[in-house]
Amino acid sequence: MGSIIAVISGKGGVGKTTTTANVGLGIAINNKRCVVVDFDIGQRNLDMILGLENRVVFDIVQVMDGEANVKQALIKSKFDANLFFLAASQTKDKSVLDSDKIQKLVTDLAEDFDYVILDAPAGIESGYEHTIEFADSAIIVVNPEVSSIRDADRAIGILDSKSQKVKEGKEVIKYLVINRIDPKMVQSGEMLTSEDILEILSIPLIGKVPEDRGIIDASNQGKPIILDKNSPAGQAYKRIATRICGEMVAMEDVETIQTGLMSKIKGMFK
Amino acid sequence: MFSFFRKKSSATTAKDRLTIAIMSDRESNLYPFMDEMKAELMEVVKKYIGVKTIDIKKETVDGIEALSIEVELEDS
Repeated sequence: MGSIIAVISGKGGVGKTTTTANVGLGIAINNKRCVVVDFDIGQRNLDMILGLENRVVFDIVQVMDGEANVKQALIKSKFDANLFFLAASQTKDKSVLDSDKIQKLVTDLAEDFDYVILDAPAGIESGYEHTIEFADSAIIVVNPEVSSIRDADRAIGILDSKSQKVKEGKEVIKYLVINRIDPKMVQSGEMLTSEDILEILSIPLIGKVPEDRGIIDASNQGKPIILDKNSPAGQAYKRIATRICGEMVAMEDVETIQTGLMSKIKGMFK
Repeated sequence: MFSFFRKKSSATTAKDRLTIAIMSDRESNLYPFMDEMKAELMEVVKKYIGVKTIDIKKETVDGIEALSIEVELEDS
């Protein structure tokens, strides 16, 4: 039985879908079978980030309604044979989601895959609640910024009260990803440090991802940034994926990476 | 140099504000049934006396947690 992981954030636009795509591909690169599922009904985006928008035939709602079977709807990634993708419905709205059908779908997927990663919609409405309902664990994506952190705390609160695991008296495992860290701003005291964020949210950290201009270029091309060996964000996602697969990887200090001795010396002559 | 002493960094301000906002959020989400309970209490009290509003607050006094219920009566 594979592990079901929901990727959540509360606030939109913090990098949930980017994290889902890259961590999913990273897990596949680690030789584990992984499926990423877009739960953002009506606002499908994971297909674009993975470069698979032209291959979608059947979506998640059609599978849950029995109009197509899972095997027909799963799309194999162009980048790794271990990664599969299940698209959200673009035409229906989230009111079509039903707990029993979701449970059947995600547990069926967990029979076949080592990791089932669910990309949640932004917000804390019914679509979000349905995404977290049957998750074993959650990746919480935040930006070092007040509205993202406050919204994430609300989303965590709902995770802790509405998920099936919690209702059974068990715990949902939580992993915090701090995304879009600007090292220079952290250094100058204009951006919250990871320590600050961990203190406020008090959940365990699984990775820090620096701000990276390459992300836009990667999504323009539908080629996840993890494939770019020179990208700091891509390498950060790679480490996160490896940690999720259970391997110990030292936490990179992305907050001071650009202010090493050399750049300090260079800075003096600016 | 002097600006360093003049004001604290905006990240510190963010942390302080967030800590307070999140504490208050968590507190108010602790009892999601609060509105329903308020409405039911209102019905009960109304049977005996005219009520304008009911306000319920959670307080901690000397380490003892308590709900304080404030009933504002209708103008007579």
